[in-house]
Amino acid sequence: MLDEIIREYNEAVFDTDRERALEVIHSAVAAGVTPDDVIFRVVVPAIQQMVKGISEHFDANLAQHFMASQIASEVTDAMLELIGTAPTSVGKVVIGAADGDLHSLGKRIVIGCLKPQMIDVVDLGVNVPCERFVDEALASDAQVIGISAMMLHTARGENGCLGVRRLLKERGLERKIKVIVGGAPYRFDPGLYKAVGADAWADDGIAAGQIIKDLIREVSR
Amino acid sequence: MITALERLVAAINGEKSDRIPIFCNLLDQGAKELGLTPHEYYSSGANVAEAQIRMRAKFGYDNLWSLFYVGKEAELLGCEKIRFALNGPPNVEDYVIKSWDDVEKLQIPDDITTHPAFEQQRICLDILRREADGKVPICAYITSTMTLPVLLMGMEMWMELLFIGPADIRNVLLEKCHEFFVKELKAYRDGGANVLVYSNPFGSPETVPMRFFLEHSLPWIERDIQAVGTTGIVYYCGMSRFNRVLDAVIARTGIGVYYLSPLDDVAEGKRIVAGRGLTCGVINDIRLVDWSVDEIHEEVRRLIEAGMPGSKFLFGTGVMPACIPDGHIRAMLDAAYEYGSWENRG
Repeated sequence: MLDEIIREYNEAVFDTDRERALEVIHSAVAAGVTPDDVIFRVVVPAIQQMVKGISEHFDANLAQHFMASQIASEVTDAMLELIGTAPTSVGKVVIGAADGDLHSLGKRIVIGCLKPQMIDVVDLGVNVPCERFVDEALASDAQVIGISAMMLHTARGENGCLGVRRLLKERGLERKIKVIVGGAPYRFDPGLYKAVGADAWADDGIAAGQIIKDLIREVSR
Repeated sequence: MITALERLVAAINGEKSDRIPIFCNLLDQGAKELGLTPHEYYSSGANVAEAQIRMRAKFGYDNLWSLFYVGKEAELLGCEKIRFALNGPPNVEDYVIKSWDDVEKLQIPDDITTHPAFEQQRICLDILRREADGKVPICAYITSTMTLPVLLMGMEMWMELLFIGPADIRNVLLEKCHEFFVKELKAYRDGGANVLVYSNPFGSPETVPMRFFLEHSLPWIERDIQAVGTTGIVYYCGMSRFNRVLDAVIARTGIGVYYLSPLDDVAEGKRIVAGRGLTCGVINDIRLVDWSVDEIHEEVRRLIEAGMPGSKFLFGTGVMPACIPDGHIRAMLDAAYEYGSWENRG
C-alpha cells in the first residue's frame, strides 16, 4: 500500500498539485498509516526519489522544487502534531542568504526539505554578515552553515562564504562546522564552491537536504 | 563600411555580411568606465548613455544598452528603495507588494514616459538615439507579464501566489502587469529602442512544469506579443534553458529572435528554430571570470562553430558580471570577431 501512496503523492508533487498531495496523505492516515510512516516512509522517500530522478531521468524545475518542499514541510508539521512528542533531531543547520543578497526562495526550499528529515534549522534570513553565520552556528551548536547566493558578487564576495571560511579557520572551527553553498552562480560554475572555500554545494534545494545530512554525519563521526 | 545595425539585419535575413553580429552586455561596468560609484552612475541617464557609447567604442561590439538595472521597472510601479552594491547589480530592497491585499492597490501609471522614474531613462534613450544615428541597435529590457510580479513581491511570494494562493488575486495582478508591460514596451519603442529583450524566466521549463507552461505561461506570452507585435522582440528566459519549448513559442507567437541560455545546446536550438528566426548563442559569462585566455578562445570557437553555419546566428553574452577582467572581455570579443568572420571562412 505504501508504494502506491508514494507513487500518488509523488505524481501530485510533480504536477505541483498541493491539494491532491494533501488528499493522498489524509487518505493514507484515514486508512491507518501512522504519522511516523507518513513522514519517514512516504515524504522522505518521495524527496529521495525526486533527487534520484533529477540526477538520472529528468530535469525537475524550480516550481516542482518549491512545491515539493512546501508540501513536505506542511505534511511534516501536521504529522508531528498528531505524533505529539518531539522527534529526535538528526542535527542542526544555520542557513541564510549571503551578505548583500536579498533572495530568499532557495533557502526556503532547502528548509522545507530538511524538516521531514528531522534536521533542525535556524533561518537567519537574507543579507546575513559572515560573522553572524559563524556566531549563530556556535550559539546553536549547528554542524552545518548553509549560504545561499543568487548573484556572482555575493557568491564570490569577501563577506560571503569566503568570509565565513576565514572566520572558521581563525577560530579553529573547521572540523566542527561544515559549509554548504547554493544558488545560480554555482550552477553556472560547478567548481566555484571550492574557490569560495565551501565544503560542498547543491545544484538545487531538494538535493541540498541530502548533502546537508551527509555533512552532519561527517561532523558527528 | 557596414554598420552594426546592417550586420544585425543581414543576420536576421540569413545573409552573410562581414561577420556575425556580436552582442556584449556590459551594464555595471559603466560606473567603473566613468570613475563613479554605482549609485552616482545610475542616478543619471547621461552617465549611462555616455558609458555605453564609450565601452562600445573601446571594444567594438554591436549593441548599446538603455537598461540601467532591472529594478527600474519596480521604481515605475512605486518601489522606493534600491540596494546598490559596489561590485554587483542594484537590487530591489523594498517590495511594492508586501501582502496579497496590496495587489488591489497597485497603480499602473497612465503614461510611463511622464513618470518621474522614467525621466533619466528618457534622457539616456535620447542620447543613445542621437549618437547611434540609426547605425547601432539600441537594446531595451522589458520584463514579461508573468515575470514582472517577481520585481514587485519577490520570487518566493510570487511562487506562493502562483501555485498556492487565490487565483482571483493572481489574475488581477497578471492583468495589471500586462497593462504595464504593453505601456512600457511602447515607451521604449517610441524612445528609439529597436531590440526589445522580452525577459521571461517563467517561459522556461526550468522554472515551471511543462503543463503549467502550456496552460499558463504560453497563453500570457501570446497575449503579450499580440498586444505589442513581434518587431524587434527577443525571446529570453533570464539565462534559463528553453530549447524544449522553442518550437511552441515560435509556432504560437512568431517571435523572430531567440536568446538561448548558456546551458542550452546551441546546435539543437538552431535546428529547432530551423530558419524561422535568429538564434543567439550565449557564452557562460560566469566562467569568463576564471577561464584562461585559451579556454575563452576555445569556448567562443565551440559556440560559433555550433551556430554559425547557415547564418541566422548571433553571438552574445549574458549580463556580464562586473568582476570579469577587461582582458577576458577583450579575449572573448577578439575570438568572436575571428571565428565569427564570414570573410575568414571564405
